[in-house]
Amino acid sequence: MPALRAEKICKSFKRLFQEKKVLFDISLSIERGEIFGILGPNGAGKTTLMSIFSTLIRPDGGSLEVLGRDALRDTHAIRERINISSGNPNFPWSLTVRENLRHSAMLYGLSGRSLHRSVEEAISAFELGPQSDAKFETLSTGQKQRVSLAKSILNRPQILFLDEPTSGLDPEMAMKTRDLIKKIYQEEEITVVLTTHYMPEAEELCDRIAFLREGRLVALGTPGELKRALQIGHRIFVEYDGEVDPLKLRIIPGVMEVKELSGRVEMVFDHSGRAVSSIIKAFEGADILDIGIEEPDLEDVFLELAR
Amino acid sequence: MSWQGELHKVLSATYKNWIISKRNAFTLFELVFWPFIGLLSIGLLTRFLELGDDMVAFVLVGAIALSILQISQIDVAYILLFDLWSKSIKQTFVAPVRGYHLVLGAMLFGVIRGVAVFIVLAAASSHLFGFDFLAGGVATVIVFLAGTFLTAASIGMVVCISILLFGQRADVAAWTLSGIMMLVSGVYYPVSILPGPLQILSKSIPLTYLLEYYRSAYGYGDHQILLGIALALLYFMASLLILNLAIERARRTGMMLRLSE
Repeated sequence: MPALRAEKICKSFKRLFQEKKVLFDISLSIERGEIFGILGPNGAGKTTLMSIFSTLIRPDGGSLEVLGRDALRDTHAIRERINISSGNPNFPWSLTVRENLRHSAMLYGLSGRSLHRSVEEAISAFELGPQSDAKFETLSTGQKQRVSLAKSILNRPQILFLDEPTSGLDPEMAMKTRDLIKKIYQEEEITVVLTTHYMPEAEELCDRIAFLREGRLVALGTPGELKRALQIGHRIFVEYDGEVDPLKLRIIPGVMEVKELSGRVEMVFDHSGRAVSSIIKAFEGADILDIGIEEPDLEDVFLELAR
Repeated sequence: MSWQGELHKVLSATYKNWIISKRNAFTLFELVFWPFIGLLSIGLLTRFLELGDDMVAFVLVGAIALSILQISQIDVAYILLFDLWSKSIKQTFVAPVRGYHLVLGAMLFGVIRGVAVFIVLAAASSHLFGFDFLAGGVATVIVFLAGTFLTAASIGMVVCISILLFGQRADVAAWTLSGIMMLVSGVYYPVSILPGPLQILSKSIPLTYLLEYYRSAYGYGDHQILLGIALALLYFMASLLILNLAIERARRTGMMLRLSE
């Protein structure tokens, strides 16, 4: 049974007399225990989809199953077992970090020792000890983000939704946050669904990725699958002097694309490791002046899909 | 979910209102200063107009009721108002809480503050104007307060419903609804002097009956307290139902997200 299964989810928002459709027939399945990324440019519908998955808002159509329950009917039971950390989070400003976490824990029905333990563990996990008695309004953006992340683990959720978890954090804190996400994921054996703009983060954390563009699901798979599907392979360029038979280049195993310029050839391979020796053979009779390999990353996938 | 869990969900709103109130210097004004100034002004006016004891009691009952109503209704409205002002509404509604958890928790704090206001005003009016607030007995006070708290909770819920339906600007309802109540339920005058249509409206408001009930102890005729309590209960249940529907609607329309932006 998957952690989450969505079928033809659609959503539109009405303002005055205008209706804007923001999600179109999104269907996907997230397996238990995976870290699933939802990527896409601004306005792609990531936060809306995350809000629907976390039952904060309801879709206009389609069906949604979370942890084996109908998320359009059994919302209350689902909310007991999931949690969310929002990007640019807000909490009541005049409550301290500890009071906000305590209040959130009470909203989840925690009481007595388990409430106290959950709050203190969350403070400790996200290194909020020094700020625990500071009012929320006095915290930096990064500290607010950590409060939100701390709040999201209070009820030991089975699915953790993280909307832009490192948004606004400096690189060091972003790295620490990613490590914490990995740590929680490993220790608690939960399913994590996250949105991010930061491609190296998605590549580092996510088992599978869904790409949204203008409210539509345009690609779904592992980072490797996406690169292969989009033919975004390793780029190898060779600068040479002499004559080269272009046909020899096109039959090199794994070649996906060959671009010839004067004195320079740019090729795309599904994997660079097997290609280099074949390339050198193909250039017999010419002098290789320079050779370089550029590994593809999700940034390339993102740029390709966001076009 | 265990009963302790359910209880803590209810107490979450009490806890939040308590913490925010104790940090806010304005709370002291809400609890003591403004109610006391209101009572003092009205009491001095009765002195100036040389009203008899029964008329003084009539007016002071209204002044006390209005203060209790205002403080208790705002505590229920704070369920959304605090979250609205701090843009944190989605933190509450992504959690497994229902409307009644929030309303009962906030109402509990409203009752505590309302009782505190009653004690302050009753003591002040007794000391300054010789008003015997226990003329009808303790039971009369309890029934009167219970009805007022139910009515206040309904007004607070209407504020929340307005915000969920119409957005942030609807928070103005928090301060206008008790003003309308003051006008039509006969806080400072008998409803019989109101124009015809407003008299009809006053008959649909529980506070009208609650005031008549309390004032009957000071020789102001009959009362229909059972009708008043029944109306207060009916409005309370209806407001709770509509609040839940408004929460669901805000989830459908996306208002829940907009209120957090």
